[in-house]
Amino acid sequence: MMKLFEGQPTRRGLLKAATGAATLIAAPSVLRAQTKELVVGGAAGHKPWVEQIVVPAFEKKYNCKILFEGTRSLVNLEKMQKNKGSQYMSVVQMDDPVMILAVKEGLLDPLTPAKAPNLADLLPGSTHMDGMWANYLQPWLGVAYSKSAMKTPPSSWAEMFDPKYKGRIVIPSLQNTEGLPSLFVAGLLTGGTMESVQKDTDAGFKKLATLKSNLLTIYTQQPQAFNLLEQGEAWMIGPAMSSYVLERKAAGAPIDLAAPKEGVFAMPSGIAVIKGAPQSELAFAYVNELLGAELQNKLAGPTFSLATNKAVPKPEGLGADVKIHQIDWANVAAQRNDWVKRWDREMAI
Amino acid sequence: MNSARRIDPVILLALPAVLYLAVVYGVPLIVLLGRSVMVGGMPSLSPFISFLSDPFSWTVIWNTVRIAVLVTLVCLFIGYPTALALARAGGVAQALILVAIILPLSVGVVVKAFAWQIVLRRDGVVSQFMTGLGLWSEPQRLLFTEAGLVIGAANVFVPFMILPIYSVLKLVDPRLGEAAATLGASPLYRFFKVALPLSLPGIVTGIAFVFSMAASMYVIPNLLIGDRFQTLATLTGRSFLFMRNEQLGSTTAVVLLVLTVAVVVGSAALSKRLGGAS
Repeated sequence: MMKLFEGQPTRRGLLKAATGAATLIAAPSVLRAQTKELVVGGAAGHKPWVEQIVVPAFEKKYNCKILFEGTRSLVNLEKMQKNKGSQYMSVVQMDDPVMILAVKEGLLDPLTPAKAPNLADLLPGSTHMDGMWANYLQPWLGVAYSKSAMKTPPSSWAEMFDPKYKGRIVIPSLQNTEGLPSLFVAGLLTGGTMESVQKDTDAGFKKLATLKSNLLTIYTQQPQAFNLLEQGEAWMIGPAMSSYVLERKAAGAPIDLAAPKEGVFAMPSGIAVIKGAPQSELAFAYVNELLGAELQNKLAGPTFSLATNKAVPKPEGLGADVKIHQIDWANVAAQRNDWVKRWDREMAI
Repeated sequence: MNSARRIDPVILLALPAVLYLAVVYGVPLIVLLGRSVMVGGMPSLSPFISFLSDPFSWTVIWNTVRIAVLVTLVCLFIGYPTALALARAGGVAQALILVAIILPLSVGVVVKAFAWQIVLRRDGVVSQFMTGLGLWSEPQRLLFTEAGLVIGAANVFVPFMILPIYSVLKLVDPRLGEAAATLGASPLYRFFKVALPLSLPGIVTGIAFVFSMAASMYVIPNLLIGDRFQTLATLTGRSFLFMRNEQLGSTTAVVLLVLTVAVVVGSAALSKRLGGAS
């Protein structure tokens, strides 16, 4: 795997050399200036909107070329580790939990208002660890439900615990990022505050244990779980990501996403500049554009996400008064392995 | 004293395979074994002690062994008669059975697991069949249960039980059974005293194949039973891929390896004692 990644810049170098040579042969006097090139690492799922919306706008404005490498957050982290000292990627779009790991390894260059002025317009809580990274768009987590099985959308997270849904509920594994809030939801239902239920998860675990008879399964593979929901074997999946559910709904699947009265959770989509990045000025400009109202306005709709720029309104389908909980990812990173251990023991069949 | 035995040059033919396996299997295995007994650069057995002193680890080990044994038994009971039929059949019938066994191997495990997900659902074929027969009073779901996992896994692994047994059975002289019959042996006696002992090497190979594959399967439990049922293989995968705990991952991988090797070696030794022919 790593060989391939390391090989990539070389391949590009070869291509560049080849096109350079071709230009030389075609026109002996090189007229056009060398175009700058920026490599952005991100999730495979980001590829469509980055290439269709972000890249054309940015390339035109800054007269440069963007190469987007879509993979998984942990793979991006490994690329950055392996190329430390000679980075070829300049910007990285990863989940917050992985950003924390990258900060610990000293791989990120902090964002400052001087280099990315749009930082000033972000909602509170959108930058982390002294500006090491910022959230640009946040998919939100609610309860996904089968429209054919349920006549009314669930209005509270508590509905998932109702005994009449025996064997019809699916929740994500704690090892999936979208699965963590189930622990906090359970805590909130026992009367905790968002702050207290994240610090002390004991009440949450005890409440979750009462969900066991309702569980159809706990998934690690998201598409498999939604398959069950679309086919009517499962009736509710929660927490479920807006970016996934609403896209399936738009494609015609008989499912929808409800925003329960206790509030929804914001998923972490971070963006950062890599330390020692080539084209560092351009890298900060890219981050700045993604934090700006103009691009976020264009992106919030197609990605079914919340914008982090104050100037962008909340998306349709999410009432203006819905509470949006932010998760303390540093706390998650510190405690997650212990939570997974307890989860394995207490949620087992 | 000095007559060192000369090496048969034919053995050298195994060299390419040995070299290949040494590079792609032997070296990583040594690294894994080494890592499982090193803590902070010092040799130590503490990872194993802490793993084995946790009751949950024993649940995981028991899950692994129980499922692997059940899958192996199901494969043996379905596979042996099939292998027998295959060895006795001739011409077109044999070709058809062989195709029926081998063709499904070309379908990926993920595809099969997804197919079972549909079959084992509450409104799936199995549930409809059982309620239709009146054996179940109401539709039930087998999906995400141990029974469902065993059924699905046995489907994937049964060819690996049939083929070794078949390859042994087809070499058995059919006249041996006839001879026993001539001497007055009943069909049951003939089966247990003649056919079964002669086919033991095939059975042992089949058991070794299926048990080790069932004990180490990862994708099938992931899709058919999910996160609530941990086995050594799923725990190993999670330790490396998600928790980034290479120490725990190496430990569980080595426990799984020891377990599988013990069963394979043990069953081979047992067959030698029982059958004499191996």
